[in-house]
Amino acid sequence: MRASLFITCYNDTLFPETGRAVVRLLERLGVELEFRPEQTCCGQMHANTGFGCEAFAQAKRFVRLYQDSESVVIPSSSCVAMIRDQYAGLFEKYGDEELRKQLASVLPRIFELSEFITDRVGVEDVGAYFPHRVTYHASCHGLRSLHVGERPLRLLGKVRGLDLVPLANLDRCCGFGGTFSIKNSEVSSAMLETKLHDVVSTRAEYCTALDNSCLMHLGGALHRQYAGMQTIHLAGILANTEESATEKKA
Amino acid sequence: MTTSSSSRRTILDRIGAATALPAAKNSYDELPRDYAKFGELDSDACIHLMTERLREYGADVAQSTPELLATVIAEQVQQSGRQRFVVPPEIPAEWMPAGFEWKVDHELRATDIEKCDGVITGAFAGIADSGTIVLHHSNTEGRRIITLLPDWHLCILNASQLVETLPEYFQRCTQPPLLATYISGPSATADIEMTRIQGVHGPRFLSLILVRDDR
Amino acid sequence: MTRAVMDPTIAPPFPVAALTVLRDTQLRKNVAHATDVIQAKRALLVAEKKDWQQLRTAAAAIRAHALANLGSYLEEFEKRCTEAGGVVHWAADAAEARAIILKLLREENATEVIKIKTMTSAEIQLNPALEAAGISVFETDLAELILQLGGDEPSHIVAPALHVNRGQVREIFARRMGLQNLSDDPQVLTAAARTYLRQKFLSVPTAISGANFLVAETGSVAVVESEGNGRMCLTLPRTMITLAGIEKVLPKFKDLEILLQVLARSATGERMNPYTSLWTGVTPGDGPQRFHVVLLDNGRSQILARPKERQTLQCIRCAACLNTCPVYRQTGGHAYGSVYGGPIGAILTPQLMQMEHAQTLPFASSLCGACYAVCPVKINIPEVLIALRAQVVDQERGQPARWFDPMFLGMKAANVIFASARQFRAAQWASRVGLSLFTGKDGWIHRLPGLGARWTVTRDLRGIPEQSFRQWWAARDKEQM
Repeated sequence: MRASLFITCYNDTLFPETGRAVVRLLERLGVELEFRPEQTCCGQMHANTGFGCEAFAQAKRFVRLYQDSESVVIPSSSCVAMIRDQYAGLFEKYGDEELRKQLASVLPRIFELSEFITDRVGVEDVGAYFPHRVTYHASCHGLRSLHVGERPLRLLGKVRGLDLVPLANLDRCCGFGGTFSIKNSEVSSAMLETKLHDVVSTRAEYCTALDNSCLMHLGGALHRQYAGMQTIHLAGILANTEESATEKKA
Repeated sequence: MTTSSSSRRTILDRIGAATALPAAKNSYDELPRDYAKFGELDSDACIHLMTERLREYGADVAQSTPELLATVIAEQVQQSGRQRFVVPPEIPAEWMPAGFEWKVDHELRATDIEKCDGVITGAFAGIADSGTIVLHHSNTEGRRIITLLPDWHLCILNASQLVETLPEYFQRCTQPPLLATYISGPSATADIEMTRIQGVHGPRFLSLILVRDDR
Repeated sequence: MTRAVMDPTIAPPFPVAALTVLRDTQLRKNVAHATDVIQAKRALLVAEKKDWQQLRTAAAAIRAHALANLGSYLEEFEKRCTEAGGVVHWAADAAEARAIILKLLREENATEVIKIKTMTSAEIQLNPALEAAGISVFETDLAELILQLGGDEPSHIVAPALHVNRGQVREIFARRMGLQNLSDDPQVLTAAARTYLRQKFLSVPTAISGANFLVAETGSVAVVESEGNGRMCLTLPRTMITLAGIEKVLPKFKDLEILLQVLARSATGERMNPYTSLWTGVTPGDGPQRFHVVLLDNGRSQILARPKERQTLQCIRCAACLNTCPVYRQTGGHAYGSVYGGPIGAILTPQLMQMEHAQTLPFASSLCGACYAVCPVKINIPEVLIALRAQVVDQERGQPARWFDPMFLGMKAANVIFASARQFRAAQWASRVGLSLFTGKDGWIHRLPGLGARWTVTRDLRGIPEQSFRQWWAARDKEQM
């Protein structure tokens, strides 16, 4: 099975370890991965901030770049939601018939990471080992736009050594919201504080999610507050095996 | 209407321009209506549900047979400790036990109705799922004012008038009513800290007698 | 307590207004408590309804259909209502609506008027206009009465006083009703309101209401309520004036079987609200013998003209989106500077203002989508928020002064960066070098200047790693070759 990895602009720059984990994980599962260096951004930041025609330029780039891919796997639910929910509208407004056709053809081949593993590769036990207490934060786009449902929890449930603690008020936003966290910094911080209360109450060592954007927000506050909890992308947990854990120690 | 006739034209023109696209029009008859149209309960279960719902609201519910109805009403009126009652013009005489003051509503003034401490009426229908009493304000259900000012409303509902769900009530309306009141429990508010308080401006006490005319 | 500014033309921007309420610990506690209670009740009653999704689909379809055919349904309503003895007036904007109502009240020689809670009247700022004309206004809904006596403003569409607690109500009632030794028991406070208003109901001959629904088929108006104050106003006065937005119309009576089911569950977490009243024009011998309906446009027809934004008008004002919104739950309604707060307010208010005011509201959301998930008429609020953000940005494109706003500049720059991989790599390098100046020995950034400070005020930021993912991939590729 072949797949193109769309790493997303912020993972590429800020969270390269997530990308490396995706590669380790998917290659272990027998996926032949490729990375197209022409890729940049899906356009989410521009679209959600009101810069539609700028977002369109990036959407067009994306759709053209992956026309011939067997599958595109993206370790970020909000970027997948951007492609699935907003590209059609942008192409309606700024694009042409050709582009709309190309979008329709590529859409069914776009997968968020947990979707790709469970639906496309077709496994839940990825052979991972992660002997830690972990709580799962459901990012809003994964929950309400992609409807990933229990997929990430099923994957985590099969990880050996992992102690999964449920998070209260799972459906509540962490307050990130992209440029919202800057434009409405105070309200965003108040939302973050409410979320942190639930997160810290789990007494987990790690908080995981499908999106490093939420985790950057939560992690930034956990770090500021010496809360004794780290954040880790789902890929980071699933990539970890007993061998890699021993290697690290050695 | 002279002041706003030009605005009427302006608004309708704006709406016309805004909705000109034929693609936006869809036929009313083709709209999706895949929700439940009928309930699943038999008559006994329906009566049980209606009773449960009304009691949750803090209303009293009693049952009677058609034969015993006059006696049951008399008991309730007696036990209420109230003296002066208003009734709609066409309720049966046996609904008005002797020994109390009965005002039949032939366009009574509000101040006279206000002096009554109870009202007895029939109903058009009952809806078990939501514990709702439906009044269409016929001559057995009364004008709106009489079920509003007195502090106690005693309502008589036949089991044959009870439906389980709201859509079933709408099916029973062969003609849309021009005047209707749906009452689900006594008047209530939750405006102070979401604490439900019964009895604000409407009747503070609601009682229902379910008449088993179905067996 | 300073009175919140609820006129969008002069209200401060959302982030500024929010800052004030975020420091009001009592308000935040009250809002959190109330929204928690309503949400829990709603969740229970929605869960028990097996056909909930089918009801939502039907409700959304009916509302969308009514809007697509709005002109003909309004004319049908007008015809039926007139035949039944009502008088229909059309108001293009708030000023005209106020003028029509004032004229009607003058014809009645009214010096006092009783009111059923209507957010539309707050939208057109009716009360101050009536008071200025020497007409005393008595709000009869308990929450509205609390606000009127307390000199406060509504903060929620369904429960306008949810930011006020029992202690505050006790203090307001004791002071304004002249009641000594009043307890803070909600039962006692409610009884005080009953006594206070009873005489008004029996003596004031003119009333003003809003409308939850207008039925085109019959010309009927429907009002849902809990307390019975609505029934009092609809039954006792001589004259009734109903103010309704043009979007409130439904095609047929039978459509209420859908909308009443979703409204009560969504709004108050009840299977049915205690009282629903339906009336048609004038009924001889029963209720007001003079009946006027004022149909209000006030920007609505312009919303109708925009395909994505049109769904805003499907709203039935249940406020479920407010109760679930993580932003509203922090700030309450006053921060929105409009009677319509929360997610629906964030899309409705700027559009009613024809995008000339309240432009910060579409940005007052993290786009988490919780509002869309609960909306009983399936308004895709995040989609409309994004469409309105685009409208605001398009305005800014035409204002050279805005081009130097750091956010605007950043967005334009990012667009250039994302246009090619080479430029993107250069930007990655530049930001790594730039941010390294602020990165501590622990690899984290604790304080940034400028816009970045709005992040680091409450959160740290991990420094940018030495090697980007694409660099790692390229290096690995080379090794494998």
